[in-house]
Amino acid sequence: MQKKYSSLISELREKLKDCNTAHDIANIKSEYLGKNGYITNEFSKLRNAQESEKKKLGKELNILKSQAHDIILNTNIINNKTEERFVDVTLPGKNAFVGSRHPISITISEITKILESHGFTPVTGIEVENEYYNFEALNIPESHPSRDMHDTFYVLEDKLLRTHTSSVQIHTMLNQSAPLKIMTPGKVYRCDSDPTHSPMFHQIEGLYIDKGINFCHLKGTLIAFIDEYFGKKMEIRFRPSYFPFTEPSAEIDIRFKGKWLEVLGCGMVHHNVLENVNINPKQFSGFAFGLGIERLAMLKYGITDLRMFFENDISFLSQFERAE
Amino acid sequence: MKISGNWLKEFIPNIKINEKLTYNLTSLGLEVSSVVKHKGDLIIDIDMTPNRADCLSMLGIARDLSAVYNKKIIFPKIANIKVTPSKKFINKIDKKICGSYGALVLHGVDNTIKTPNIITQRLNKCGISKVNFIVDILNYVMIEVGQPMHAFDLDKINRLINVRYAKANEKINALDGVKYTLNKNIPVITDDNKIQAIAGIIGGDYSSINLKTQNVIIESAFFTPTVIRKAAKLFRLQTDASYRFERGVDPRLNNIAAGRVLYLMKKYSNVKNYQYNLTTNKELIKKHNHVINVKYNFFDESLGVQISRNFIKKTFKLLGFNPISYNDKIRLTIPSHRFDIKIEQDLVEEIARVYGYDNFEPVLPHNIFKINKDPSIFSENIINGLVSRGFNEIISFSFLPKNSQLSTNNISDIIKIKNPISEDKSELRASMVHSMIRAYKYNVSRQNANIKIFEIGKIYNFVKSKKIKENNILSGIISGINAENNLKSDQENLSFLDLKGHLQSIIPNIIFKPYKNIKHLNKFCQATLYQGKHTIGYCGEISQELYSEYGIKNNLYYFEIFTDSINNAIDTKYKKFSIYPKIKRDLTILVDDKIYVQDIIDIIGEKSFNYMINSKISDIFYNKKEFGDNIKSITLEFIFQDCNSTLTDNTVNTEMDKILNLIKKHFNAQVRT
Repeated sequence: MQKKYSSLISELREKLKDCNTAHDIANIKSEYLGKNGYITNEFSKLRNAQESEKKKLGKELNILKSQAHDIILNTNIINNKTEERFVDVTLPGKNAFVGSRHPISITISEITKILESHGFTPVTGIEVENEYYNFEALNIPESHPSRDMHDTFYVLEDKLLRTHTSSVQIHTMLNQSAPLKIMTPGKVYRCDSDPTHSPMFHQIEGLYIDKGINFCHLKGTLIAFIDEYFGKKMEIRFRPSYFPFTEPSAEIDIRFKGKWLEVLGCGMVHHNVLENVNINPKQFSGFAFGLGIERLAMLKYGITDLRMFFENDISFLSQFERAE
Repeated sequence: MKISGNWLKEFIPNIKINEKLTYNLTSLGLEVSSVVKHKGDLIIDIDMTPNRADCLSMLGIARDLSAVYNKKIIFPKIANIKVTPSKKFINKIDKKICGSYGALVLHGVDNTIKTPNIITQRLNKCGISKVNFIVDILNYVMIEVGQPMHAFDLDKINRLINVRYAKANEKINALDGVKYTLNKNIPVITDDNKIQAIAGIIGGDYSSINLKTQNVIIESAFFTPTVIRKAAKLFRLQTDASYRFERGVDPRLNNIAAGRVLYLMKKYSNVKNYQYNLTTNKELIKKHNHVINVKYNFFDESLGVQISRNFIKKTFKLLGFNPISYNDKIRLTIPSHRFDIKIEQDLVEEIARVYGYDNFEPVLPHNIFKINKDPSIFSENIINGLVSRGFNEIISFSFLPKNSQLSTNNISDIIKIKNPISEDKSELRASMVHSMIRAYKYNVSRQNANIKIFEIGKIYNFVKSKKIKENNILSGIISGINAENNLKSDQENLSFLDLKGHLQSIIPNIIFKPYKNIKHLNKFCQATLYQGKHTIGYCGEISQELYSEYGIKNNLYYFEIFTDSINNAIDTKYKKFSIYPKIKRDLTILVDDKIYVQDIIDIIGEKSFNYMINSKISDIFYNKKEFGDNIKSITLEFIFQDCNSTLTDNTVNTEMDKILNLIKKHFNAQVRT
């Protein structure tokens, strides 16, 4: 290598020693490697060099360039260290956004994930429903006392706000053939309002129709679901109940702080319901279940007043930032 | 229904009144909601499901328990009651209302005597207070065997009893002190002169029993459940009688109950003689005793376990189904008190609940199902995107107050609730904007003015002649400062561009086009949103009208996305990119303030200049003094690059000159130097 090139390197090293800031280093970099820097200019001089020298010089210049480059780069690191400055790392991060999902949405999403792992496909449907799909198709005739369990909002003579998501199950069974395995999350409405009842609330229902489905399958699926949702083996009570669309019908209670709490209604799909949707009950059987989302969310998060869910107070909502 | 534990011992001797009993009740489907200890007795409150009308009595509950305890029940003693041949007291009975009408007539009853303690105490435990001797006996028999009865003062009855529907505007002063105006759907008991009772629901004041009463007609009848239900619902009236009749009282029970009343009357008072008139529709009674033949293995198949034939037969025997086995089947006669049993499947539940739901093994079905995603279930990515950009998800009621949407929607599109729970929840939301503004206002009132919220939900509209359309919407609103926790120097008031930035970050390939026609948005600050050629929503600042309607002082930026129109599936294909150096050029021009920057960029884009791979705006600047009114200075940034070689300055300069000419020509732009 030419002498002037090697002295150039030591010169560069000396200069870098005097640098105090990153800015100083940048200046030196441009002095050597910049558009009008020393090494860059040496390259332009190549054009005037003798043909025989050109190749050799070019090679040397390239080595010089990469050497200088490396030295500057390394200096950079060393010098950054010498330049250590105090930063208050406890100051707030810039644009730290903390949003939240609604506890109802979190609960729905947790439930649907578990049910999906059991093969239930999510289906949604309309909320303003014909009376037939909400009641008659589900074996709830007009004169039946069980209609008292459903205080219904009407918007037209025969149009109502669905009182459960079972209407979606009816539509799905009519549109698809058995076997099927679905779940129906969504909003439902009943004329009721107090700390434990809301005129609008959320439900998720499940339906499984197949050949040879029996009561033990119902029990197995739901117990597995409850244990998975609560993340541990729960003390569960399974007791007879009544729903017009299932027979036998059952309710599941869980033991919570020493008390039995009802969490889920279920049963084997009533033959009348199957016949209403053109499924032959001699060939297929199935089970259905339904649960109130608010209730589960209240249990899980220790919320005591149902109305909190729909006040939309940020102080309430922001508590669920990472609940999922 | 409240029952006394000790009273059960009369039906099942030696039954232990303990926790096991309450477990068994719940396990049978007679859910115990509370148990109270009371002087050596347990008062057990049972939540009765509407199908189990037969258990609205001590007898019914004991009958269910007998199947679990495997003991026959002991029936209460009844007097042998004979029907008096001449029909002195009953005239016309409408068969549709009443399938069987018994009238037990007693003369010279001393109604001043004290009801025996055993009766008043038991009634008291069941939540029924004492009235007078006759009424107490009737109430006692109702709780005991389940037959509601009514006593008329015979001296206030003019000749014969009739059962018919009321005529419009007939009236009755009832026992509850209310004057009811009747109509043709209300079944009534009348004599020749007046209406004496609303059948199966409540008696009239005029012929009611008091301490002076000596002669009575005791009605023990079967009323058609649907008739009673309709009438009771109309008056929103629930009595012990209507509650039982509308659910179904055993049509064979009325004679037995009359016999039981007679027995108790004779035992506790001076009553000796009686007359008993009866009108019965025999066919109706027969209908309540249908027969079902079931294969034994139907029980096993439905329940998933092998259940012994003996158990099945024994259970049905104790429950009163009179079982007969033949071949591989069992023949069951449905007892007249079981209104709820109609098909084979109903019989399975009988076996299951006596077997005990807790005793079935849980089994997971192992058929595999493919999950099909419902396209209307909204992408979690977009939701999580909003959350990680600091949005709080809200859920608001689908209801809004009366006439609260007139500023944003046509009145004919709004769906009203016919029976709202209150005026502030009386119509369905036809757009999301009011829900959002209300949630914003609520939080401002709670000293929270920095708001970024969103909701996923439906809006509801009437379209064409009462057809209802529901749309799935994602909407949101922002107001206040960008990030509350930033240092003051880093805080900024949110603007339309913040909203736009959020949407660009979470929705793939979103395009904003200036718009003016959305009524509830500021017409100078609104845009429709596209993905390709599809409209997917709109956004902007809310209108002056909404600001003043809600008395809002801060700026609110709103967006609404039609979630069903969004396409999340992006078809990603690798594109080759150049490795040669890029050349960047800036161009600063002065143009009219009303010119949309996107229009300038679009026109440059359409021309496809050589080697230009990107163009964007990098700065915008106003200076009235220097540029004049309504003129803005914008700096555009262009990137040039060739795929095959390093570009020279000359090449780029040529292209830049062309670009400048184009802008000058189209936008009357001046170069700022």
